[in-house]
Amino acid sequence: MDKTFLKLENIKKTFGGVQALKSVALEVRSGEVHCLAGENGCGKSTLIKVISGAHDPTSGEIYIEGKKIDKLTPIDSIQKGIQVIYQDFAVFPNLTVAENIAMNHALMTGTKVMNWKKSREIALKAMEQIGAHMDPDVLVERLSVANKQMVAICRAIINDAKLLILDEPTTALTQKEVSRLNMIIRGLKEKGMAIVIVNHKLDEIYDIADRLTILRNGENVASGPIEEFDRKRFIKCMTGREVEEVYYRPEANKEEILKVEHLTRKGAFEDVSFTLNKGEVLGITGLLGSGRGELGDALFGIAPAVAGKIILNGKEVTIKSIGDAMKCNIAYVPEDRLTQGLFLDCSIQENTVAASISRYMEKGGLNYKKMYEVTAKWIQKIGCNAKSPKPLIRTLSGGNAQKMVIAKWLNTDPDLLILNGPTVGVDIGSKSDIHKILRELAVQGVGIIVISDDISELIQNCSKILIMKNGKASGSINSRELDEIKLARMLTSEEVTA
Amino acid sequence: MKERMKRGLTTNEMIVVYIIFALCVLIGVVNPAFAGVSTVVTLLRSMLVTLIFAAFEMLVIISGGIDVSFPAVASFSMYATAMIMNASGLDHVVIAFLIAIVIGMMFGALNSVLIVRFKIPPLIATLGVSSVANGATLSFLGSKEINRLPESFGKLSRVFIYEYAGETGITYQLTVLILIPMIICIGIWILLKFTMLGRGIYAVGGDKNAARVAGFRVTFIQSFVYVLAGGLAGVGGVTYMILMRQAHPQVLMGTEMMVIAAVVMGGTRITGGHGTILGTILGVTLIALIQNNLIMLGIPTYGQTFVVGLLIVIGTSITSLRTKRIQNSIKI
Amino acid sequence: MEKIQNRLRSSDKNSMMLFLIAVVIFLVMGILEPSSFLGIKNIQGMCTQLPEFGLIAFGMMLAMISGGIDLSLVGIANFAGIVSASIIVRMGGGGFSILAGCIAAIVVGAVCGCFNGFMIGYLQIPAMLVTLCGLQLYTGCGLMITKGPAITGLPEAYSFLGNGMILGVPVAFLIFIAAGVVVYFLLRSTIYGQHVRYMGTNSMASRYSGINNLAVTIKTYMMSGILGSLAGLIMVSRYNSAKTDYGSSYTLLSLLIVVLGGTNPDGGKGSAIGVFLSVVVLQLVSSAFNIMRVDSSLKTFVWGVILIIVIVAEQLGNKRRMRNA
Repeated sequence: MDKTFLKLENIKKTFGGVQALKSVALEVRSGEVHCLAGENGCGKSTLIKVISGAHDPTSGEIYIEGKKIDKLTPIDSIQKGIQVIYQDFAVFPNLTVAENIAMNHALMTGTKVMNWKKSREIALKAMEQIGAHMDPDVLVERLSVANKQMVAICRAIINDAKLLILDEPTTALTQKEVSRLNMIIRGLKEKGMAIVIVNHKLDEIYDIADRLTILRNGENVASGPIEEFDRKRFIKCMTGREVEEVYYRPEANKEEILKVEHLTRKGAFEDVSFTLNKGEVLGITGLLGSGRGELGDALFGIAPAVAGKIILNGKEVTIKSIGDAMKCNIAYVPEDRLTQGLFLDCSIQENTVAASISRYMEKGGLNYKKMYEVTAKWIQKIGCNAKSPKPLIRTLSGGNAQKMVIAKWLNTDPDLLILNGPTVGVDIGSKSDIHKILRELAVQGVGIIVISDDISELIQNCSKILIMKNGKASGSINSRELDEIKLARMLTSEEVTA
Repeated sequence: MKERMKRGLTTNEMIVVYIIFALCVLIGVVNPAFAGVSTVVTLLRSMLVTLIFAAFEMLVIISGGIDVSFPAVASFSMYATAMIMNASGLDHVVIAFLIAIVIGMMFGALNSVLIVRFKIPPLIATLGVSSVANGATLSFLGSKEINRLPESFGKLSRVFIYEYAGETGITYQLTVLILIPMIICIGIWILLKFTMLGRGIYAVGGDKNAARVAGFRVTFIQSFVYVLAGGLAGVGGVTYMILMRQAHPQVLMGTEMMVIAAVVMGGTRITGGHGTILGTILGVTLIALIQNNLIMLGIPTYGQTFVVGLLIVIGTSITSLRTKRIQNSIKI
Repeated sequence: MEKIQNRLRSSDKNSMMLFLIAVVIFLVMGILEPSSFLGIKNIQGMCTQLPEFGLIAFGMMLAMISGGIDLSLVGIANFAGIVSASIIVRMGGGGFSILAGCIAAIVVGAVCGCFNGFMIGYLQIPAMLVTLCGLQLYTGCGLMITKGPAITGLPEAYSFLGNGMILGVPVAFLIFIAAGVVVYFLLRSTIYGQHVRYMGTNSMASRYSGINNLAVTIKTYMMSGILGSLAGLIMVSRYNSAKTDYGSSYTLLSLLIVVLGGTNPDGGKGSAIGVFLSVVVLQLVSSAFNIMRVDSSLKTFVWGVILIIVIVAEQLGNKRRMRNA
């Protein structure tokens, strides 16, 4: 079983002077689950593209099943049994499940004719292999994220794949779906397939991986069996520095910022009540589909609640639209940074003032100079790694861009800041910066709600945690009584215990 | 099974069928003379050229683009073909079609270079090409209609596959030219349904990136669609010329609006990836039916543009809203 | 000195280029045909002709910045012109009737624009589809009023709008300049101007930043409709009649102008100065054609060629910039 399928040695890749990969080695054996971890921008995606043949390495050697490969094209890569499942799955929403699954096969054989009967057969066989059950005739646009992923996996395995690469497969999955995915991966591993998973959630890595390789700044920092890594070493390898884990546990304060009573939106969440006192950080968590995100959306008026009371700083408010929420000084950092949070083609300055543009309206028109100064101030204050407010925000890394999204809202002087997945796709360094900012804000008296499924993030930063399950909420739990294991167990258990 | 039947009865195609049926009943009640073979013959004749245009426009829209240059391209091909045939003394219909196809494909190639190679938004690129083609027709070829056409054209236009003598003594004749759109529709149906190229068109329209990753030759597929559209625009132009026994440099201009509306009403999503030839045929039928019979419903000529416009607005709104509902429905 | 250099570098390159082109045409034509091209008659003539499509181009630019497109502008212009003409004719052609006609036209433009905006913003139908259908609809509305032939018999006083002069400057040109200044300020110095840019760049993110996309969309198309109706008023006044098929080439021309003026077809970027300069350039070219007695249909051809070349050049430029970045 201990057979090396893929071996990379000393891979280098430069893009117009920028070294994306400095020197990377990777060895993947058949029948193992190999986890590839690293912060954003460490070169993971470039490495995957080298393996899939999409990028030519500048130098370095690639061995597949012991044979040296001189040039790897995408077609070669597929024919050698390498399949990549990208984060967006690259499925066709407008085609049926069967067609999506069988498409690759047809393309591989180079046939010019579409055979509907055969593609159905192929699809059914593939689904049987991994134990998925879907109507082969339904359009993929009607499928949930997890099922789309199943389609992508089915499509990958039909061509006798020997190496399956999954790029951050769990980001959009619920806990239940993650365990189902893990089961499937184990099944494929039993069959002797080599599997590479890109992931940086430690708890999930422990669940499934046999070996682990960590990249940083385009270089290997560590590689070895999973048992050799504990949490501390893992974080150190990822960031290159010791990140101390601080726990935010403020003194109790009776002053209420926000009180929510019996908030309901049918089909999303029901009868949710909680309070948020001054100085507290409230965590809202739950599996995907539990209504945690919808609750945040409702408080910001994106999809408003239909019943219930919201009392902000002692006054009852009605929030029926985003405009209402902003009038109440509520701010919301959305879940999907790229599509909901950022104007990629705008400058950092434009992004920073986007939600508070009316402040710069003066008698003679808009005061652009003031916008510039304010942005420069935020860049400095929030620790964003940008030279000036002028460059396009797309030139920033994920972590820095997320800081500017937060700055955009801080610039509105919010009373209540809701963050939905504040550190998704953010490197560990920026992550701890963002956490620090949140705690400071809480101390200053801004109400902070963190919606997240990152257990260690919640335990470290939230003084109170609300667990949601099927749209219903537990009472809020003081996080002094919790630890990560306990919270994880509560998340997956069936009963809501207060 | 019930679920499947329900799905079958609420497809876009079926909804257009219901509307067509309701409209027929309405017109039939107002004017009993409507229910007759003559109506069908007139309807088919008026659909003929539009259907050719709609068929390839649907292909372009499925692939995620749009082509508004076809009326100008068709006019150019029609006019140039007439001039070439007259000047050279060639007198064969097949040659005419070949010339028109080649000319059309050249414009199609221009479109495809602009859209595929230079990544110009399709609407703007094809608008530009439309202007080039139309301007070239008028300034380089001529602005007067050509009435003297090769004899074979006239002969072909007098071949009928079906004749029907009405009670009033008027004979209704169905021209053999109706076979052209029929063949094109069947061809496109086969292309879309049974070839990998056709599935590739859907794939590109659904998600261009995914198509590239899966190994489709995206550039080729997109170019193919625009070049084919150009060629078929040429066919449409010559068909129109034979049908009307006249080559006119301007008469087709402005038809893009109707054609796109027909395609969209037939259930093709303007954003790409969805659409069937059956739906398009039904969409064209619906619009032709409305246009032909507004007078029967007592709407004066000058009011027709408005009524047709209104119906198109309503029709496209309904299909757009349906699409939105499907996209927002609960995922399984 | 350094300051000036910086300012030059940071100023809109596109506008600079357009300005240079305009100067070059002036020089070349001034040398070739000094008497006819540089004559006051010709310059006045140019200033009378350009407002029609110039106003439409401003409307198109607003729609394009918002991430959409407005193909219905010519329809709105004609419809508004017809409404005003028929009101003026029916009310007897007095001064009050002219005022009523103009107001009615602007209202019509605003209403048609609102309708477009509502369909695009609220029902979320693609702008291209809505305005393409809108073109048919508004043309149809116009036809319902005229019943086919042109409306004639407009009072002499009304032609002041399209053909009159104030101190030797055509009135229509003054209207155009005024509209341009308004659009410039809208984009540069108002909250709406910033909002429309944000929406054009990323409508989802603008919604999540608390921008009311529906309101912005409706305002944009309403503004564009009003600009269209002003163009309609000038057209009616210039031809001294109102009909549904005036200015049919303006849709393409305005697209060309807007793209030439540096507006991003995908939305988010665009400048009033750029569009103004590109209107001027196009008018200069057109006028040069007229003097050299070039057939008007050849113009259509040339417009198309220029549009294609400009966009291709821009795309190539973008690509190079991307590579350098």
